Amino acid sequence: MSVRRVLVLLVKELLMGPKNMIFIFALVVPLVITLLINLLVGTFFSGKPRLGVADAGESLLVEKVRQIDGLLLREYSSAELLKEAVADGAVDVGLVLPDRFDQQLIQGQPVELVAYVWGESLLKDRAMLGTTIATQFREIAGQEAPVVITMETLGEGESLPWEKRLMPLVVMMTLVFGGSLIPATSLVEEKQKRTLSAVITTSTSLAEIFVSKGLLGVLIAMFMSLVILVVNQALGSNPLLLIGLLLLGAIMAATYGVILGAFIKDINTLFAVNKATGILLYAPVFLYIFPGIPEWIGRIFPTYYMIAPIFEVSQRGAGWAQIQADVIILVLIILVLTGIVAYITQLARRKPEMLPGMAT
Amino acid sequence: MNLSIITALLRKDLVLFFSNRFFALITFLALFAYAILYYLMPAEIDESLEMAIYAPELPTSLLNELTEQGMVLIPMESEQALKDAVLEGSYPVGVILPTNFIPNLVAGQTGQVYLYFSTDFEDEFKDLYAILFTEIAYMIGGKPLNIEVTEEILGEDRSGDQIAYRDRLLPLMVVMILMFETLGLASLIASEVSTGTLTALLVTPVRVEGLFIAKGILGVGLAFIQAFLLMAIIGGLSQQPLMMLVLLLLGSVLVTGLAFLIASISKDMMSAMGWGMLAIVVLSLPSFSVLIPGSVTNWVKIIPSYHVVDPVYRIINYAPTWAEVGDNMLILAASALLILGLGVAVLRRKFQ
Repeated sequence: MSVRRVLVLLVKELLMGPKNMIFIFALVVPLVITLLINLLVGTFFSGKPRLGVADAGESLLVEKVRQIDGLLLREYSSAELLKEAVADGAVDVGLVLPDRFDQQLIQGQPVELVAYVWGESLLKDRAMLGTTIATQFREIAGQEAPVVITMETLGEGESLPWEKRLMPLVVMMTLVFGGSLIPATSLVEEKQKRTLSAVITTSTSLAEIFVSKGLLGVLIAMFMSLVILVVNQALGSNPLLLIGLLLLGAIMAATYGVILGAFIKDINTLFAVNKATGILLYAPVFLYIFPGIPEWIGRIFPTYYMIAPIFEVSQRGAGWAQIQADVIILVLIILVLTGIVAYITQLARRKPEMLPGMAT
Repeated sequence: MNLSIITALLRKDLVLFFSNRFFALITFLALFAYAILYYLMPAEIDESLEMAIYAPELPTSLLNELTEQGMVLIPMESEQALKDAVLEGSYPVGVILPTNFIPNLVAGQTGQVYLYFSTDFEDEFKDLYAILFTEIAYMIGGKPLNIEVTEEILGEDRSGDQIAYRDRLLPLMVVMILMFETLGLASLIASEVSTGTLTALLVTPVRVEGLFIAKGILGVGLAFIQAFLLMAIIGGLSQQPLMMLVLLLLGSVLVTGLAFLIASISKDMMSAMGWGMLAIVVLSLPSFSVLIPGSVTNWVKIIPSYHVVDPVYRIINYAPTWAEVGDNMLILAASALLILGLGVAVLRRKFQ
């Protein structure tokens, strides 16, 4: 196998790639989906009341509210900008804090405040914001809380916000879409256009073609999944380990894609196979979406070993010790898939009729 | 221009369009999927904070005041009943105010509140409930703040009559319906240009103008009919129907012009899909101005689809007058004609 020829083929794939719809989809779709999830689940469906503040002084309120996870805080440089933001619905309630507000409050002097309320804000958000603001004012004024609150979660289980539950799905889609569909589509299209047979008649071997197409899938899948994790601020505490896991996941997906591309004759069949096997590929992500599903069910599916270590490291701060067993299984799966690809290259030579479009 | 030639071209294009099963399927699936999605989404927004409560000595006046603030307090018979209800997931939050809660507060002593959460209740919201009951305790204890608040409601006060999420999503659905149509038309034209069918047609009595009129009618017709059907199914024509129809027609002209532009830079169905998806993403952006208010800045107004999104949202939810949406209509009409003209010019240049 010539490294130079593989690189030449890879560069060609990279240059021709942007003309392919699947290539564009592999780049755009994960970003659009993560954007939608962040917008819909992170803010729109987060249910968090949004408070806007235009602080003419340096009130402690801003810092105090910032500490409360259940609220979204936005600051504005003037009352006019705040009013505009409230009118646009960017925040539910806008509060104009005058200069020396805290001092007046602490000294018990009467204070006049202006509060803007967005007409479409929910009653419960107005109530939550109202009580939160009032309580923070009392704390600033030095009033002692007249109550002790004891909080308890009943039952066992983990409370994961929806954006975290959906994260494995997005990462898995990115890896599988980019990693497997790019090499598979590229191989199938080349077979349909008969360019694959033409290239094989040169000194380029089938193995070199497989490697170059697989490498393209690995590069795109890894790059995009990394982008997705960065965008979602989910690199975790061990980014190097995470990058290694993404690489392994991308290799697994790309090897699977090469196998698909080798056996499938046309694009329609490829999409049909992809649709049919999709549920098997994505099955493990349902473990995260619905935490009540027993973990052993996920372990039946090979892609579990692709996504589980990534999720553990990025979302739960796991280290090598906690994931090594799953990673070893992942490496074994990759070795099996690589063995199948190697067998295919032999098969193409010995029994070309079994692999239409790839006869040497 | 011979009307029979245009009719013949239209018939041919319709047959060709629906012979591509992929687009034909997508066309109808999308339409019904959007309608089903719309009806599956809740028609109302729950503005209340629902929680189970066990408070044997809570005065009715306080209960009423809390209810007025949007809280729905479901009384439980005992502490154990409350815990069981939260554990089973019947209520996400349960609160116990012990028997001496109010007397303690009134006497200036510290009260005690127990808050219980179900396992799937998100951690970040728990503090808000603690703050809520802290403030209630302050109020019961009679510790007023020396603050005079002037409250101003901006826009129509919709408390108790909130706009449902599905009606916020509707403008996005309309843009998607219109734009999916673009994919089909662009793909059809791109394949006709690449196979030389369009050029071949010009050796017949068909003239260039006739070709574009036929394609234009096809694009506008298909886009308009689908958007109209969606609106008819979901009841979007119940307010200002004429205004809505004019708006959808202008939107259809806009996407037809875009289809011409996409077709001029596409080689085949795959590249038309690629460019079309890019156009869909860009044209969808203004929908977020109503879907997630405040999420996009004023720059989205330069995207022509904003002038579809904004009036659709207002017609569905506010029944505006013609004067109120006049600006949108004029800008939309101008940009639709400009893009259509540009699309025709570029495409004409490509295949002639």
